[in-house]
Amino acid sequence: MLPALVFYLAFYVVPLAQIFDWSLFAPHLTGKFYVQLFDDLAYVKALRNTIDISLLTTIIALLLGYPLAYLMVSSSARASRILMLLVLIPFWTSILVRSFAWIVILGNNGVVNRVLMASGLVGRPVALLFNMTGVQIGMVHVLLPFMVLPLYSAMRGIDRNVLQVARSLGASPVRAFAGVFLPLSLPGVGAGCVLVFLLSVGFYITPAMLGGPGQITLATMIDLMVNTLLNWGFAATLGVVLLLTVGIIFALFSTLMGTSRMMRPGGA
Amino acid sequence: MSLSRIALWGFCGLLLVFLIAPILVVIVTSFDASPYMAFPPTRLSLRWYANFFSSAHWIEPALLSLRVGLATMASATVLGTLAAIGIARGRFPGRQALELFLISPMVVPIVVMALGFYFLFTGYHLIGTTPAIWLGHVVIATPIVVVLVRAGLRSVDPTFDLAARSLGANYWRTLWHVTLPSIRPAILSAAAFAFLISFDEVVIATFLGGPDATTLPKRMWETIRFEIDPTLTAISALLTVAATVVLVTIEISRGPAAPGRE
Repeated sequence: MLPALVFYLAFYVVPLAQIFDWSLFAPHLTGKFYVQLFDDLAYVKALRNTIDISLLTTIIALLLGYPLAYLMVSSSARASRILMLLVLIPFWTSILVRSFAWIVILGNNGVVNRVLMASGLVGRPVALLFNMTGVQIGMVHVLLPFMVLPLYSAMRGIDRNVLQVARSLGASPVRAFAGVFLPLSLPGVGAGCVLVFLLSVGFYITPAMLGGPGQITLATMIDLMVNTLLNWGFAATLGVVLLLTVGIIFALFSTLMGTSRMMRPGGA
Repeated sequence: MSLSRIALWGFCGLLLVFLIAPILVVIVTSFDASPYMAFPPTRLSLRWYANFFSSAHWIEPALLSLRVGLATMASATVLGTLAAIGIARGRFPGRQALELFLISPMVVPIVVMALGFYFLFTGYHLIGTTPAIWLGHVVIATPIVVVLVRAGLRSVDPTFDLAARSLGANYWRTLWHVTLPSIRPAILSAAAFAFLISFDEVVIATFLGGPDATTLPKRMWETIRFEIDPTLTAISALLTVAATVVLVTIEISRGPAAPGRE
């Protein structure tokens, strides 16, 4: 216990504290970087992009992930286990590899565009990369498992007999699902949405790789500030914004839902 | 099978294609002889694999990643396992808050962690060194070890520990001979995941690596951003196959229990 705490203090708490430090001192106490947040157009654009991408990713992942999680809990143990493995393989495949895969597939010469052209649906390649479409596809692909796992975990806790009871009391299948199963699965929906949103907000690799200059986000802007523009103070301030956003959502949610419900991988 | 059930399977089938197909396409593409990354390949060849294994430009970063990954695995597994046991078996106030603190790096955006490490290690002149990347990776890998080992401990009866203690074993003997063996599968899978996290990690490696310490993901990242080299498809295929083998091994070694069972 103690070694972990000492390690966390030195290499987790101290680095985060240094971000606050850099955002406030240059070298004397200053609020100039925080003032810059309000009149920097690039920042406003990055903020809007970040919110748009995160919300849309969360909604799409929920709409796609819910049926999949439902299928997993309502199938035989064997089928369910295979489905789980198919979700976990991309989950543990390098994000770099998965984002790169989309470059190969969605490019002008990629398989999607060649199929579209061969079918005569389009006359020339559709721009699917280095724009919002590319970012959105890549983000949903990377984050979908993070939605499915908490949903699956919550749904597995639902006693499936309640559905039978509802049916035997005369409810239609749709009504039994909407009136009984859906409300019981809401904690999982909450956990999945919060987790996907949290991860989207800070996501760096996919927007940087599949987006264009117009898809700058808070995370890619931090990289730009540190590694290209060498504006460490403003980079630190963006880091504080990101950290507080994530911290507040996480704290609110964990008090509402209990500590570690959303943090158990594999639904364990 | 009812109509709605067939529709559900159909929908999920398409979804799984969406999840898996991109990876498969890259694997197939990696065997294409042309430099245009064609799918399906026009002429089969292993030239991109040969290119990877024969060029220091790729092999040296791969070896560095391997070393950092193994070092991270060892450190994070020890730190995380001890912490998880402390939380699960300890009797002190604030255990819940402590657990939350220990797993909290999982929700801190990686780019923010990388920024903090960058500031910290600049002060110690460690930018561009392997230890900087290793320390950063231990911070992000330890929480997953805590979570997995903690879950493993839930499934073990704590009275075994008490029995050992009451039979005269001291704390460390109990830990070594009773507690640790009982959670061996959890520790092994935690170690595997700690390795994968480090081995795949891009952002920290890029922020801290400087010009001198280049891991495989950092080299891939730089390559993707400035040029497209089909060697990347071969590396992607190798990484995916390696990760899948690790994952399937873990899944099989967990036995016939349902996946993700506590």
